[in-house]
Amino acid sequence: MTSTSAASRKALSKIACNRLQKELVEWQVNPPTGFKHKVTDNLQRWVIEVNGAPGTLYANETFQLQVDFPEHYPMEAPQVIFLPPAPMHPHIYSNGHICLDILYDSWSPAMTVSSICISILSMLSSSTVKQRPADNDRYVKNCRNGRSPKETRWWFHDDKV
Amino acid sequence: MQNQEGLQADGEVDSATSAPSTQFDDWANFADNDIMQQQSSIQAEEAEKIPFEPLSSLAAEYQSGSTILLEKIKVLSEQYAAIRRTRGDGNCFFRSFMFSYLEHILETQDRAEVDRIKANVEQCRKTLQSLGYTDFTFEDFFALFLEQMESVLQGNEDSISHDELILRSRDQSVSDYVVMFFRFVTSGEIQKRSEFFEPFIMGLTNATVEQFCKSSVEPMGEESDHVHITAISDALGVPIRVVYLDRSSCDTGGVSVNHHDFIPADSDLPSASGSKTISPFITLLYRPGHYDILYPK
Repeated sequence: MTSTSAASRKALSKIACNRLQKELVEWQVNPPTGFKHKVTDNLQRWVIEVNGAPGTLYANETFQLQVDFPEHYPMEAPQVIFLPPAPMHPHIYSNGHICLDILYDSWSPAMTVSSICISILSMLSSSTVKQRPADNDRYVKNCRNGRSPKETRWWFHDDKV
Repeated sequence: MQNQEGLQADGEVDSATSAPSTQFDDWANFADNDIMQQQSSIQAEEAEKIPFEPLSSLAAEYQSGSTILLEKIKVLSEQYAAIRRTRGDGNCFFRSFMFSYLEHILETQDRAEVDRIKANVEQCRKTLQSLGYTDFTFEDFFALFLEQMESVLQGNEDSISHDELILRSRDQSVSDYVVMFFRFVTSGEIQKRSEFFEPFIMGLTNATVEQFCKSSVEPMGEESDHVHITAISDALGVPIRVVYLDRSSCDTGGVSVNHHDFIPADSDLPSASGSKTISPFITLLYRPGHYDILYPK
């Protein structure tokens, strides 16, 4: 589960390093509501605490996001997964992988860790039912070898949640 | 919502229910990895492009194809000498524009043009700031473009040759950053003048202006349309000619090749009064789904 694709294990490029330092400073000054960055000395892996928004199915629940940055961040998307236990949600697999277009095909360097967090919280908040994706078991079984969600070709055919 | 693999696997279940599940998993894994590997090898191959070829190579491509295209290429060859091919990765418009613009500066050493565009780039920076973009999200891309522009001007320590420009245009760590710079500029211009662009965007998709920028302008690999070209031409104040090579024919019987000139709005170029026509120094050849660079005779 914690194993990641070869690309994301490479050290950050100079540009990626600079960019992440700036993002971290900005986060410290102006963190997105409901999120807490757990301070470590590892710039390449952030662990972020997420609080379910009040008045939603996930109110009073806390989850942890693990964000791994690739060598060429922000040209390449970070890998974002929930650490176990992952929230019960129709777009979140039990192994923590998240089906959200901006993490894959629709990623843009104009986005930030902060904007990803806001998208994920909004995905949680708009959920009307606590359940796993229909193909959860098969997908999770296929990921046994520790492959990254970025190695999956995602098919986004539902924008309701 | 599902991953594609799940869908493929479902299909397999219907046709071969007796397949042992382990073999089944291997197949499913194989499909995704294989396709992604193939994708990246195609990308690597495409990245080697930007070759310069005489226009006759274009005719050779269509030798056994449509006669109307061959006739149009003949018409083109009266005006244009050569084509430079850009990689087909969804960024071809922006990459063609980048190369063509920097090559123009390299050849003309037009410092007034460089000063003019720098002022426009500063304006674009302000646009993004006023739209609420945080500086760190775009500043690296802006800096890299300005650096490229300085380096094509000769007489500095960092000046580069035409060969080096080609190398940089193939180097992902330069080329992609410049493409992304243009994507930022385009997105900023569209959002700044959202009332102007809204009807055009509604003709393409049912997204709002902001959604369109987030999904069809800012991500790498998203193809460019009239909207993108109009926006970047306006934002930077650079006229662009697009020549269309398609199967459409005209009623009059003769074969002619259509083109469209994107002339910057609020252009301070001499011709706003109509006394002189602007002739763009960037000419791109559009074939459905792809842009290359054309060189006039």
